[in-house]
Amino acid sequence: MKGGESDAGKPSGGKRKFYRDFLDTWTICSTQCGACFAHGPIVPHNFVELPPPEWAPPLDKCPSYEYFKFRAYTAVARGDMAADINDDPDYSLSDDVMKVLYTCTGCGMCSEICYKLRPLTANLAIRDELVERGARLPDPLPRIDAHVDELGNIFGARKLARSVEGLPTAGADLYFAGCVARFQRPESLKATTAILQKAGIEVAYLAEDETCCGLIPGHDGNTAILEKKAAQNIDAFAKAGAKRVITSCAHCYKTLKVDYRLIAGELPFEVVHVAELFSQLIDEKKIAFTRPLDEKVTYHDPCFLGRYCHVLEEPRKVLKSIPGVELVEMEPSGKWSHCCGSGMKITSACYPEFTEAVTKKRLEQGKQAADTVVTACTTCYQHMNRAATEAQIDLKVFDLPLVVATAMGIELE
Amino acid sequence: MDILRALEAIVGPSRVSSEKAVCEGYKYNPWLGREWSEHLRPDIVVLAETTEQVSEVVKAANTYKVPITPKGLLGGGGLAGAFRGGILLDLSPMDRIISIDPETLKAVVEPGCSFYRLAQELWNRGLHLPTPFYGPAASVASSAILPATGYGKTRYGPLIDLVEGFEVVLPSGEITRVGAMAYAHTDFGPFYRYVTGPDLVGLFAKSNGALGIVTKVAYQCLKRPKHFAFHAYHWPREGIDAVQKTIVEATNIESFDIHLNDKYRWIIEGPFDFPEGSHFDITVMATAENERELRGKEEVISDIFEGNGGKYLPGLAGHWYHSWPGAFFAGHPRIRPTVPPNIMSETLGRRGYMFIMDKLMFPATWTKEVYNLHLELVHKYGLDQMPFHPVWDSYPMKRQIMCEQYWVFLDDSKPEQVDAYLGCREEVRGWYGQRGGLFQEPVPPLCPDYAWTNQKSEFDLLRTIKQALDPDDILSPGTFEIGGKR
Repeated sequence: MKGGESDAGKPSGGKRKFYRDFLDTWTICSTQCGACFAHGPIVPHNFVELPPPEWAPPLDKCPSYEYFKFRAYTAVARGDMAADINDDPDYSLSDDVMKVLYTCTGCGMCSEICYKLRPLTANLAIRDELVERGARLPDPLPRIDAHVDELGNIFGARKLARSVEGLPTAGADLYFAGCVARFQRPESLKATTAILQKAGIEVAYLAEDETCCGLIPGHDGNTAILEKKAAQNIDAFAKAGAKRVITSCAHCYKTLKVDYRLIAGELPFEVVHVAELFSQLIDEKKIAFTRPLDEKVTYHDPCFLGRYCHVLEEPRKVLKSIPGVELVEMEPSGKWSHCCGSGMKITSACYPEFTEAVTKKRLEQGKQAADTVVTACTTCYQHMNRAATEAQIDLKVFDLPLVVATAMGIELE
Repeated sequence: MDILRALEAIVGPSRVSSEKAVCEGYKYNPWLGREWSEHLRPDIVVLAETTEQVSEVVKAANTYKVPITPKGLLGGGGLAGAFRGGILLDLSPMDRIISIDPETLKAVVEPGCSFYRLAQELWNRGLHLPTPFYGPAASVASSAILPATGYGKTRYGPLIDLVEGFEVVLPSGEITRVGAMAYAHTDFGPFYRYVTGPDLVGLFAKSNGALGIVTKVAYQCLKRPKHFAFHAYHWPREGIDAVQKTIVEATNIESFDIHLNDKYRWIIEGPFDFPEGSHFDITVMATAENERELRGKEEVISDIFEGNGGKYLPGLAGHWYHSWPGAFFAGHPRIRPTVPPNIMSETLGRRGYMFIMDKLMFPATWTKEVYNLHLELVHKYGLDQMPFHPVWDSYPMKRQIMCEQYWVFLDDSKPEQVDAYLGCREEVRGWYGQRGGLFQEPVPPLCPDYAWTNQKSEFDLLRTIKQALDPDDILSPGTFEIGGKR
């Protein structure tokens, strides 16, 4: 299998075991080739030609290495440290060790490059071990995990934001909004459901009954909470009669599509991202654009959508289908795209200064290409939009459903 | 003021760390197993961005009598680490390509620049360096001051032969320039290594940074050839005399690169239709400015190879030189380096790892003897049975120098197999050490002691120079020593 952290083609063996196998690999290795962080190509040329695009990542690769500059903050050093911790039950889990292990953004660039050893998977695997050993996770992860576990959302919110009304809570096509859209970015929720309704899909939405997908605990080492959330959601989807679960958040998409399958095996429903669905609906002529946008836009690939799940072409196709949209690529893009800084929502929660630097860099890359950047992830959208405003960067940031809805003539409040 | 404050005053607080977790990140080495890592952990890591900072850091290390070991992108000053703890000076932020001159064919680069990056920049400007595919993070300094990642293509020999000059921070902290860099500031630019007086570039080559910290490297580049040809020939097992003769003769001509393998490689790396009864193959790459020159070279190659009984083997050489890498490789706690199980399970379908025995270097005329010795000993220790037959991978350089590495496959979870491997290696070393014992080892002190004692007079002079330049043994201590775990 090539690329990122996607395990869509793997048989179910349990997330913990699957991740653990990669950690075991690192326990017998001491790889230091440096392809995952070194400034430069991973292959220079073969004397006759330069490497093809699939062998040509950007010069700077690892967000945490770029920020902290010390080798400890690379995927390869984390993999080796994970192996050491794995070998030594008395390994001191000091604050600086935890910081090294939790400043990984999880962007997956390292595992895209080193797709055999997958250093990110080893790093995520050791987090399970840390939790089992009772390590104190960096703040505010313990609080977030508790919110997810007890309240079903990452914010600790007890009441939904004012949102759509009148949607059925059961149906074959179920929209899974995710925490960010449900509580902080209802415009993405509204746009998505309005688009689907206008395209003739009877979309259902669980509203108060939707619970967090479990991404954060699933990636900070609290896999038990992820497993609990997976069981709750799978049960809720079944009760709602869902045959197709639609999401606009790349984080939720990866969790539902990849992690749930590792946990529960074959799922009784299909998981689709709105970029895939919009693309299909455009082909079927169920989405029609009535309002030209006349705008040069660039597209930011969410790590969890592009690198992890290989959804690269569909969002571009959707944007190119909109009359008046000139799509230009920002650099880097596609499978080699840089992280927006959200960092699985973990680094943005725990290390805001680091995150701010990563986001600013990505926004500047976007600004070099166009005045508008569109992404296909409610979390990336939320994160980049807020950062652009706070940093006063003159760059408009939109979630894909917002752009599609506008071009369809859908009025959003 | 303590050493930490002094260092922070030089490079800034965010560029100094004594945190255990940060120091841990510098203890691993690709060519040594993880059991080595505990001996290589520094106490302080410093990131330097300029030559002046390096100079001040070295002065501070002298003041506080703290050892200091430089590190390029990969491993130590290259490839090692802080043998004696102390300061690990990470030069990876110094990664600028300072100049590339396509007319004089010279490049001046900072030490942390990846060799691959330089290679690609040169390629884009119609130049190249005859670099082998030795890893994305080897940097220009590590390739110059350590031999292992510095072996180039047959016609050009080790990359150090292409180094024209260094800028170096001496153990005292003084900044000096040697070879072409000594007059790089003049109108001539850094055009020639051999200046008035002895060749002082060589003093720092393969030094592991023990005599000075390289802060700039001037390379002699080559015009990128316009035409390439790739050919391969094969021989039966009993044709080893002819194989050796072919290697010797082909190394004398202007062939860009030559590789010698035995059939076991292609059993693992296939699929290739390796002809029945054949045992050895030699792949050869020729380059030329025009097709006429290329045809002439191909004719000479054909005369040598076929004249020595080689049979043409289509397809293999093109694959060998053109294929993009499929994986990057690793090391093992006791023996090095391994390809881990999830790689091998994809290629082999079962557990089994690849370990590289000592990487030897000997006269090309010894090819037959060394090869036969390996076959005899792997059979004696049963390494030919578990689970694949070992592979001979070798490549000659100009001056009739043969470099080889012997890949052994075994299940490292079985101690008896690891013991068999180590027993075989020691017997090879015993035989080899009595006869010369030159290694392509990444770090000089990690070779068996005979790597030094076989060249005792040079070693004595080296230690005298070290004592004169660095009386307090501040720079890369442990590099020029014999005996014990270094």
